[in-house]
Amino acid sequence: MTDVKSENTNHKAGWSRRDVLKATSAGAAAGVTPMFFTQNAWAEEALGNYPVKGSEVVLGFNVPQTGAYADEGADELRAYKLAVKHLNNGGGMLDTLKPSKLTGNGILGKKVTYVTGDTQTNADASRTSARRMIERDKVIMVTGGSSSGIAIAQQYLCNELGIIFMCGLTHSNDTTGKDKQRYGFRHFFNAHMTGKALSPVLSKEYGKDRRAFHLTADYSWGHTQQESMQEFTEKEGWSTAGNIMTPLKTTDFSQYLSQVLNSDADVLILNHYGANMVNSLTNAVNFGMRDMQKNGKNLEIVVPLYSRLMAKGAGSANIDGVLGTSGWNWALQDEGSKVFVKTFTDEYGFPPSQAAHTCYVQTLLYANACEMAGTFYPPEVIKALEDFQFTGAGNGETLYRGSDHQCIKNILVMQGKSPSARSSEFDYLQIVDEVDAKTVDYDPAIFGGELGPYVPA
Amino acid sequence: MTTQNNFWQHNRTVLIFALIALTMPFWFPLMGGYSGLDTKIMIFCIFVVGFDILLGFTGYLSFGHAAFFGISAYVTGIMLKSFSDNIIPAILVAVLAATLVAVIIGLLTLKRTGIYFSILTLAFAEMFDSMAMSMLQKWTGGENGLTGMPTPMLFNLKMQGDTVFYFVTFMAILLFYLAKRIERSPVGLMMKAIKCNQTRLEFTGINARKYKLLAFVISAVYAAIAGALMVVYEPFVGHEFLGWHQSGEIVIMSVIGGVGTLVGPMLGAGFMLYFENVLSVNLGEQWLLVLGAIFMAVVIFMPGGFMEGIARLKKRYFTTVDGE
Amino acid sequence: MDMTLNAFTLSILTGLQLGSIYVLIALGLTLIFGTLGVVNFAHGALYLIAIYLAVSINNALGFGLALILVPPILFIIGVLLERGLIQRFYDRPHTDQILVTFGLAIVIQELLKWAFGANNIPFSIPSWGNGIIFMHDYLPFLEGFVVYPKWRMILVVVAIVTVSAVFALLHLTRFGLVIRAGMRDAEMLQFLGVNINRRFMVVFGLGAMIAGIAGVFGGPVTQVSPEVGMQLLVPSFLIVVIGGMGSLGGAVLASILIGMAQSFTAPYIYINTIIIYLITVIILLVRPRGLLGAKGVFE
Repeated sequence: MTDVKSENTNHKAGWSRRDVLKATSAGAAAGVTPMFFTQNAWAEEALGNYPVKGSEVVLGFNVPQTGAYADEGADELRAYKLAVKHLNNGGGMLDTLKPSKLTGNGILGKKVTYVTGDTQTNADASRTSARRMIERDKVIMVTGGSSSGIAIAQQYLCNELGIIFMCGLTHSNDTTGKDKQRYGFRHFFNAHMTGKALSPVLSKEYGKDRRAFHLTADYSWGHTQQESMQEFTEKEGWSTAGNIMTPLKTTDFSQYLSQVLNSDADVLILNHYGANMVNSLTNAVNFGMRDMQKNGKNLEIVVPLYSRLMAKGAGSANIDGVLGTSGWNWALQDEGSKVFVKTFTDEYGFPPSQAAHTCYVQTLLYANACEMAGTFYPPEVIKALEDFQFTGAGNGETLYRGSDHQCIKNILVMQGKSPSARSSEFDYLQIVDEVDAKTVDYDPAIFGGELGPYVPA
Repeated sequence: MTTQNNFWQHNRTVLIFALIALTMPFWFPLMGGYSGLDTKIMIFCIFVVGFDILLGFTGYLSFGHAAFFGISAYVTGIMLKSFSDNIIPAILVAVLAATLVAVIIGLLTLKRTGIYFSILTLAFAEMFDSMAMSMLQKWTGGENGLTGMPTPMLFNLKMQGDTVFYFVTFMAILLFYLAKRIERSPVGLMMKAIKCNQTRLEFTGINARKYKLLAFVISAVYAAIAGALMVVYEPFVGHEFLGWHQSGEIVIMSVIGGVGTLVGPMLGAGFMLYFENVLSVNLGEQWLLVLGAIFMAVVIFMPGGFMEGIARLKKRYFTTVDGE
Repeated sequence: MDMTLNAFTLSILTGLQLGSIYVLIALGLTLIFGTLGVVNFAHGALYLIAIYLAVSINNALGFGLALILVPPILFIIGVLLERGLIQRFYDRPHTDQILVTFGLAIVIQELLKWAFGANNIPFSIPSWGNGIIFMHDYLPFLEGFVVYPKWRMILVVVAIVTVSAVFALLHLTRFGLVIRAGMRDAEMLQFLGVNINRRFMVVFGLGAMIAGIAGVFGGPVTQVSPEVGMQLLVPSFLIVVIGGMGSLGGAVLASILIGMAQSFTAPYIYINTIIIYLITVIILLVRPRGLLGAKGVFE
């Protein structure tokens, strides 16, 4: 971890410390001396931490280092460090990403260094550490995170301060929906795409005549996930028997599962992530729901969003056969995935998770955009990313849509492996289907929200 | 009545504080601090000084003060978003709202002593936290937090960067001065008497309840002002502002600094925030463990906190045999 | 609330089983408070130690050993804590007790997080406890297919047995007599020549041991991760207060009450999240000593 103290300290329309020093006499002057600093002298040049002085450029990696998602955050950090290594030395996806102007010599000739922050899986803490990285360490870009609340909170912050934010793992529709920001970019897929990709597979596996009961984590991601799943399963002919919101802090889901048992549903959809999913799935299995029959059919459990960490926490006995979606998996055989898995495994001894994948790719995409724009000046970098079409990053042909800064790409339908079918301690899920980008594409207008101006007000 | 000389003497602490605070932007970066953190420290100084009026003077340990901090923050945010981007009406309405809630909660909880009071305030804080996350999601933004506020304005002045710092520091100095005045006043004396021996106080005919409620509400007002200023500084309100974790942090700050001294808790606030944001980078994941251990050590060996430590050092090194 | 008999039965069972975990923790809390007068904010952390110990032993050596080893180990830990830390605080104000145990809770939680990581560790239910009970075989008034997990029913039984054991200990043994006397008036007891300190040590250890039992059986239910301790502590405290601080019967009653309240309000999320706080506030306003608390105790 290296700290770079660059000289540049100008925030967009405010004051700089230099001006306060010049204008105010130090001492007990307990008052605010309004000074209006004319913008014109610096106008379109200084924005956020641009321009970048010196021979190095600093990236900010804000990941959960403590709290519930610490393991995922650790994996994200590994991916980031690997990305920096490749950016400075070549290798990895620099060889497969097309079109790419990356040289393997840093970004725009400057060596890439980084600082890290701890989001503590807490929106307030994430903003605090992001702020520290921006104000003190002068990062040119902030990235990372394992939860949508955190991503959205940081997006707003970075948007105000003129720093580009490359989202880490965030699945809520809101991140590029109603909370979209000009300075925020999401590569990871969203709940809507999950619903669209998963539902056809579900109806193929389980039939079209099913009644689904949803248990939903009571926060924005849970809500969007549930809405998307309900919308697309009903399109397949399913009906919805009910939906119960579960408080985010719940660890014991028995009271809600009782309600599910009481109903006539034959599919349980768990709109839960992380610890919630681990607990609700384990509880459901304890209730014997995997072996139950309802309406003459086997009761099935669906976990729309999968991650290897969750699978590990729940244990393979519990996820055996359960269907869900993922953004990426290390078993994929395309060039980009293979080279990423190889370099990651060589470096760390085990394969990367989907969180690591998205973080690695985001870093490279940002660097590439700077190269293509020929500058670090955020509005130009943003324009370079918008509507950028690329391939070789592990998800097939991908479009970084300009209207909402969301990547439209292939996503995976996954199924839990039984304990006997696992080949290693990292092998929890198998790929059932790779759903094409065109299938999961959608009209950005359905989510509303506005990107905002290129130069923050 | 008071001579010029007396004013400076009486308010020496406040003036020293003012000096240190106002020059913070210059010396803070030298220790690894950064712009923004200094503002946050000032905000928490306000919060913690008010808290000390309750804990330090009356001895009532509230685990729920974050509720006032959070309620005020949410109201400020909502006011900025929907009413006007001027911070003055926002702050006024927010503090008023939080004060109202404080009066109600105070009347309900202060009937009980010691532990009951602590647990009850804890229950209230958790209740508000849960409400903000679930039933009031539409207004509070739930787990995402309240975002999308316009740039706060003080009439025609944009509240950004150092402007906010000086505004907050000005408020902090003012409120610290006020707290000192309260301490020296008869009201403060009554409050301290409650901590000493509430029963005996009541035997002398004083209505302790009145003073307890006053202390409670005053500390809530401080918390509310801090909460409102928090939004002016950082246009974001998370539900974490309300919960007992936040309350717990304030307790830790006060105890580490030195309960009852007013200055101590501010030191504690600065220490904890510095620890959390600057030193934590070097300590990695274990900063909370280290902080918890420090906290325990303080409670066990040096319950007067930093102030007690300073007093002991003073005695050791700065006094001669006749205690001069 | 329009409910079928099936639904009602399921909710009752759920309420009982939710209450069982609460009662095991609340019992230790109220025992410690009633006897020693100490507010143990670190009780959730004791539960945390129990579940991590239990899951480690279970995954390595099997459940049987976990069952045999964890409660005694927790007893010893309780005793050590009391001798090493808590006893220094008997003469200090209640606030200080809360503070030091609060700090202890943080330290224990962070240490466990450091050692085991923040992620959940799966605690598998032993095979003899796994599976479901066909409730419709036992309760003739149920129609159709009604099941409940075996392990949770075992948990209820364990709670009943533990509570009965504690009551028996307190009411039927000499040791219990001394403890109960100590709860009434510790000073007088010392004047009578009883070594109250040794009793305190044992009681604290006992409270920790009950948390140990809770951990062994509750681990698979509450899951094993660092936040579980505090998450259970807050409701447990409220339950102790609702039942009446120092009253064991009150703790039992309040646990069942809260368990039922949470179970029956499950479909209504807005009430479900705050029902426990509402009940606390109402009880404390209407009957400040708690449901079964002794009059005059910390009112």
